[in-house]
Amino acid sequence: MQHKVLTITKREYLSRLKTKGFWISTVLMPLIMLAWMVLPSLILSKSKGGLHLALVDETGRLEAGISEAVADLGNRPELQLAIDLEVVPPAGPELYPELDQRILRGEIDAWLAITEEGLEQRQLEYHGRSVSNVLTLESLERMISRLVRTDRLTAAGYDPDEVAELTRGIDLQTIRVSEEGSEADAGWGDLALAMGLFTLLYMAIIIYGNMVMHGVLEEKSNRVVEVMVSSVTPFELMAGKLLGIGAASLTQLAIWIGSAALLTAPGLVAALSLLPADSAMPTLSLGVVFHFFALFLLGYTLYASFYALIGAAFNNPQEAQQLASFGIVLLVAPWMVFMPILNDPDSTLAVVMSLIPFFTPLIMMLRIAVKMPPDWQIALGYLFTIGLDILMIWVCARVYRVGILMYGKRPTIKEIWKWARYS
Amino acid sequence: MQPAVSLQGLRKSFGDFVAVHDVTLEVAPGSVFGLLGPNGAGKTTTIRMLMDILGPDAGEVHLFGHPRTREDLDRIGYLPEERGLYRKMTVTDQLVFLGELHGLKKRESLPRIESWLEKVGLADRAKAKLEELSKGMQQKIQLVGTLLHEPELVILDEPFSGLDPINQVLFKDVLDEYRAAGRTILFSTHVMEQAEKLCDHIALIAHGRVALAGPLAQLKRQFGGDSFLVKAAAPLDDLSGIDGIAEAHVETDTARVLLAPEAEGHDVLKRLVERYPIREFSSDEPTLEEIFVKAVADAA
Repeated sequence: MQHKVLTITKREYLSRLKTKGFWISTVLMPLIMLAWMVLPSLILSKSKGGLHLALVDETGRLEAGISEAVADLGNRPELQLAIDLEVVPPAGPELYPELDQRILRGEIDAWLAITEEGLEQRQLEYHGRSVSNVLTLESLERMISRLVRTDRLTAAGYDPDEVAELTRGIDLQTIRVSEEGSEADAGWGDLALAMGLFTLLYMAIIIYGNMVMHGVLEEKSNRVVEVMVSSVTPFELMAGKLLGIGAASLTQLAIWIGSAALLTAPGLVAALSLLPADSAMPTLSLGVVFHFFALFLLGYTLYASFYALIGAAFNNPQEAQQLASFGIVLLVAPWMVFMPILNDPDSTLAVVMSLIPFFTPLIMMLRIAVKMPPDWQIALGYLFTIGLDILMIWVCARVYRVGILMYGKRPTIKEIWKWARYS
Repeated sequence: MQPAVSLQGLRKSFGDFVAVHDVTLEVAPGSVFGLLGPNGAGKTTTIRMLMDILGPDAGEVHLFGHPRTREDLDRIGYLPEERGLYRKMTVTDQLVFLGELHGLKKRESLPRIESWLEKVGLADRAKAKLEELSKGMQQKIQLVGTLLHEPELVILDEPFSGLDPINQVLFKDVLDEYRAAGRTILFSTHVMEQAEKLCDHIALIAHGRVALAGPLAQLKRQFGGDSFLVKAAAPLDDLSGIDGIAEAHVETDTARVLLAPEAEGHDVLKRLVERYPIREFSSDEPTLEEIFVKAVADAA
């Protein structure tokens, strides 16, 4: 009977590869990912426009420093900050309502006033149409604080150059230690890699899980399924579909990962001058690639068999949506803990989440990409997930067997559960 | 000879609803066997149990003289009532695929596909996708898919429902060919006239039970008694006195006669011809419809 599963697998695989959509998404996806990763910094570094800020310096002491610092922003794209500065000479208190009007007319985005009073009270007034641009505001605050500090120290009689030298900050040069050797790392490269792999895994599981569901629904609504089950068992039919679509997804992922490995090859991207010259690219190690594919297979099996169950139980995508969204919820949950886990991949939260089989594929991938977890945790995560996979296939195959021949009325969850228990 | 199909005491219920109570029947090899009954009688459920699509609650299925195995299913061509094909596949790919599922290698099936498509007049659509074909064309492809692996046993569930008239003729011709080749055909229908034209054996199913089964000719005899219509050029007398006639209802020149149990129609005709100017002597056997109504009434 093996040859029948293989026959179905082959059909599913080839029919996916023959669609234009498969190849379009295969080509588009890396481009979108690349754009998503490099475009923001590219745009920021190339564009002159940013926050259009009117600066009123009643003290006259900070204006020069701010202008200089703003001009310097262009050389530091990693700050992701661009300010288009307009220096407005002080003209008494009636100037400020006028500036508010200019904001409303859209001529400027915001204004910032530096007054003696404000400096004393350590509070400067910033008016803007939007004040939710916290990242920009934080950077601005840091920049002005630094200048104000220098100003105060100068006022207290210190030499400005000496002050600059003495108050110079430091940058952390992050070096990642791993079994494969320590390597200098720009930090964000690792972040991008983790983010990329996590997103890719998430999307692949959702996209191909849904493809399984729609495949089953289509067979059901076409009534092909009746013809099929006369020569193969429902289990063989389901297995063939899962394997065939799984193989198609592996093909696509292999192309993506392969092109990612090529694109991140040392020097290549930098040579394209898309990135700041000093940023090191993350490199995909073989270990990470292995885990990526292994975790994809585990996650795909888990969710795709669940989606096969949904496809078999219902008559059309509309009916299936409710239960299908349950699967999405489980897949979206890891996004909620994405940042904390990225920040501390060995926290209790990270360990626990990565050992819950529904979350293991995504969370373990994230942890592995950031910092290789202890072997026992990986092994345990795999073991639990394989266990759940087997259970899932067993339950889903039972529901599938009954569901594919049921037409008409939309079944309730209770009925579906009953099908699973039919002998 | 071993029966091609033997069902023993099949029973199937879905929750509280018993779809098939007790179905026992045998299909002789080389016969055209009609599984008859109204909608909801349990025909499809019976066939699904036969095809191992549903597991029976009780009973056994024997095929080709032994308990059914999964391999036996490759020797069957099954056309379900709810049928369809992959819309995005080409005609040839689809048929190759169906052949492979029945253990047919691609190089074996390609020449067969070619000659079949020739036969059903779709040779020029071999590369077309199913969704590009008309419904009637799709039905033809479906039939080809059912027979491509040259099954010894063909099982058709309501084969004529939804067929256009041209395909009705095509299906009937193909079934005739199959019968002539000595293969076994089992089909279900709720349309009695079709069964009457095609079958040599039937089983009537009502309320999940076999109400009646056997060779069609024998059932007709059994149910009609041996009833004949007699017409003469002159008024008839009371015919019940004639040897071999058990009962007679005469209306001047026309009579309905019922033969005595051992009597033969041609003997009675000979005697009648000796006495009356007989113009017509015809079997007045009941239609399947009438038999069915009577059988169901008897069973109830």
